[in-house]
Amino acid sequence: MAEDFRSRFRVLTDGSDAPLGADHHIFVGPQHPWAEEPAHFIIHVKGERVVEANIRIGFNLRGMEKAMEARTWRQNTMLIPRACGICSAVHQNVYVRLVERLAGIEDQISERARLIRMFSCEAERVHSHMLWYGILAHDTGFDTLFHVTWRDREIIMDIVEDISGNRVNPALMLIGGVKRDLPKERADKARPMINDLIKQVEYHKKVFTEEASIVNRLENVGVLTKEDAKKLTPNGPTARGSGLPYDIRKTFPYELYDDIDWNLVYYTEGDVLATTLVRLDETLESLRMLNQILDRLETASGELLQRVKPRISEGKYMTRAEAPRGEDIHYGIANGTDKPERYKIRAPSLGNIDATLKRMDGEYIADMPVILRSYDPCFSCTNRVMIINQSTGEKKIMGQDEFALKAIKAKKYNRPFF
Amino acid sequence: MSDALSELENILNITIPKDFVEEVVKVEEGHFDIISPFEKAYALMKILHDDAGIYHLTTISAYEKDDSFNVCYHIQHRIEEEVKEIPINFIITKIDKDNPKTPSMIDFFVAADYYERECYDFYGIYFNDHPFMERLILPEKWPDDVRPMKKEYSWEQIREITLNLAKQISEDD
Amino acid sequence: MSKKKLLVMGGEAIKNQVKGPVTLHISERLEKHPPPEDIRTIPRIIEEKCIMCGTCVKVCPTHCLWMEKDDKDNGMIWLLRPQCMWCGHCQTYCPKDAIHIDREPSLSVSLFSFNVRQDYEMICAKGSFKGEKAEKKLAEVIEEGAKTIKEIEEFRS
Repeated sequence: MAEDFRSRFRVLTDGSDAPLGADHHIFVGPQHPWAEEPAHFIIHVKGERVVEANIRIGFNLRGMEKAMEARTWRQNTMLIPRACGICSAVHQNVYVRLVERLAGIEDQISERARLIRMFSCEAERVHSHMLWYGILAHDTGFDTLFHVTWRDREIIMDIVEDISGNRVNPALMLIGGVKRDLPKERADKARPMINDLIKQVEYHKKVFTEEASIVNRLENVGVLTKEDAKKLTPNGPTARGSGLPYDIRKTFPYELYDDIDWNLVYYTEGDVLATTLVRLDETLESLRMLNQILDRLETASGELLQRVKPRISEGKYMTRAEAPRGEDIHYGIANGTDKPERYKIRAPSLGNIDATLKRMDGEYIADMPVILRSYDPCFSCTNRVMIINQSTGEKKIMGQDEFALKAIKAKKYNRPFF
Repeated sequence: MSDALSELENILNITIPKDFVEEVVKVEEGHFDIISPFEKAYALMKILHDDAGIYHLTTISAYEKDDSFNVCYHIQHRIEEEVKEIPINFIITKIDKDNPKTPSMIDFFVAADYYERECYDFYGIYFNDHPFMERLILPEKWPDDVRPMKKEYSWEQIREITLNLAKQISEDD
Repeated sequence: MSKKKLLVMGGEAIKNQVKGPVTLHISERLEKHPPPEDIRTIPRIIEEKCIMCGTCVKVCPTHCLWMEKDDKDNGMIWLLRPQCMWCGHCQTYCPKDAIHIDREPSLSVSLFSFNVRQDYEMICAKGSFKGEKAEKKLAEVIEEGAKTIKEIEEFRS
C-alpha cells in the first residue's frame, strides 16, 4: 500500500522530491492571506493542473502535552479547551469523561449535568459549521453569503454567551459535572432564537443547493472516492462526504446521544459539495437536538457537580468524541498522584490533511482554495503543541521571515525551495 | 484473559495465535486493549489488517513505562451495517529504552507515516522499515539528542533549551 | 423569472435599508445584549470564612493567586488581575465556600487591563498580615513586575 498511497507529509528539504511532470511549484504559507493558520503547502503543477500537493507542518508547536504533565488534573481542565481555537468544549468533554472514568465515578454524573454538556457541545458544532461554510462561500467568491451566514452566526454566539459567559470557550465542564446550571429563564430566552436560526440555516442550505454560481464551484470538484477514503483514514465530515457513515455519537455513543432522537448524515458523492451538505445538514440536526435538550432540561434533575478527589488512581483510558471537524481522541495515563503521567491529544485536522491533499490531484489551480478549505483547517489542532513564552515568540517571527525570503528567492530564480 | 480474547476473536471473526498476545483486556463494552511484545507485533497487525479488515488508524501514542517504551496504536474495527465501531488499543510493550526500535506499520496504514514520525520526534523511537524517518514537528535546528517528551527533561529544561535555540538563531541572523 | 428575482432582490434591499445596519457599535451592542453579570469577574474572599488552606492557590490554572501565611488566622492572598481568566476553579473547590465571584457589573468592564506584570491586588489579609505587612508585600511585587518589564524590553531591543 505504501507504494500506491504516499503520505503527503513527506517533503524533502532539498526539493529533490518534486514529481517529474511538474513545471511550476506554488508555495502557500506559512504566512499567507488565504489561510490564517501556519502551514506550508507545496503544490506542484503542470500547466493549470495540479500534479501533486504536499504539506509541511510544525510552525505552531505549543508543548501542551508536556505542559499538562507539569500541572494537576484539576488545573488541566482549563488548559485542555485551549487545544483548539474553536472546538474547545469537545476537548473539555473528552478530558472530563476520561478523568471521571479513571476516578471511577462515570456512572454518578447526573442527567442534568450530561444534558448541559451536550448543549455546550452541540452549540459549538453549530457555530463552527456556520463559520466554516461562511468562509467557504468567501473562498468561492460569494461574499454576500459569507456576510449573511456570519450575521446569523451571531444568534448562536449570543446563546453560548448567555449560558456560559464566553463566546467561543464556554468551559462549562468540570471533572464530576458542570460548573453552571442552565436556568429556565435562559432556556426560554434561547428557544425562539434557536427556531429563528433553524429558518436561517434552511435558507443557507437552499442557497448552497440551488444557486448556480456556488454549486458550479463545488460540484464534482475534488472527488475523494470511498476506496481512497478507506486507505487515507479521514474522519468527521470529510469521511461522511465520501460515504463512510461513521460518527462517534452513533458508533460509540457517549453522554446521552443514544437517548436523543437524531439522524446520521452522510453523502456518497465525495466532492466538496457533499462535505458542505454534510455540514449544513449536521447544523440543522444539531439545532433540533438543542431544542430537544432544552425540553428535557425542564424535567431533568440531579446534582450538578460530584466531589472528586484530586488524586486519580492508577490506570489508562482512551476516550473519543465527535468534534465539529471529526474524531477527537485523548489517551491518558494516571499514576496515582494529582498529575497525569502521560496525556496524548490527537485533534481531528491532522488525520484529514492526507485525504484532502489527495483530492487535489488532477484538479485546476483555481479550485485549490476551495479544496484546501474543505476539511476545515485548524492548525492549533494539527500541531497542538506550542512554544512557551513571549521571548520565544520572537524566534518564530525570525524563522518565518527567513522562510518567506527563501520562498521569494525560489520563486524568482525558478528553483526548488530550500 | 481468555474470556476477553475469545470475545474479541468472535467480534473480529478471526483466530489470534496464543503466543502473539501477552494479554487482552476488556476495558468496557466493545473496547479492548491488546498487549503484544514487539517481536510479534507486525505479524499480529497483519492478521488484524488482512483477515479482520481493520483499516482505520486513529492515532499512535508512545509513553514510558518503567524502563521501557510502549507504543499504542489506536485502531478501530468498523462494522458498516450496524454503524458501529470497536476501538482497540494495540499496545506494543518492552521496547528497549537505550536502543528503541519497533516495526513500522506503514504497510497497513498510510496514516501511520506521520504519527510514527511524531513519536520519533518526541521520544526517539525508531520504526524499522519506515522509508522516511525524518523530523515532522520539531524545529529544524532543534538539538538531535533532545527528545522533549521523555521524563528526564523537565518543563523548565525544555523552556531553557527553547530559549537558547531562539537566541542562537537570532544571533546567526 | 428574472423579473421576479429582480423584484425579490429589490425588496430585500429596501427592507435592509429600513432595518439599518446589522453591525452595532460595541456600547450599543452591550446595551442590547449585556454579558451575563455573574460570570466575567474576578474572585472575592470573605475574610471571616477563609482558613488559609491554600486550595485556591493550588487549583488556579493560570497561577494568578499567591499566598503567604503563618497559621490559619494570619495570612494574605494576592491576585494578579489580568492573568485571571474567570474560570471559577477557586470558587468551585473552596472547602469553606469563602470565595465567590464578584457580581459588580462595573468591575467586568474595568478588568480589561493589559499590564500583566504589575496589576496586583490584595484580596485577603488576615490577622497580623493586615495593614502594613500586606501593603509592603504589594509594593514589593509591583516593583518586581516593573523589573521584569525592563528586562523584557532590553531583550527585545
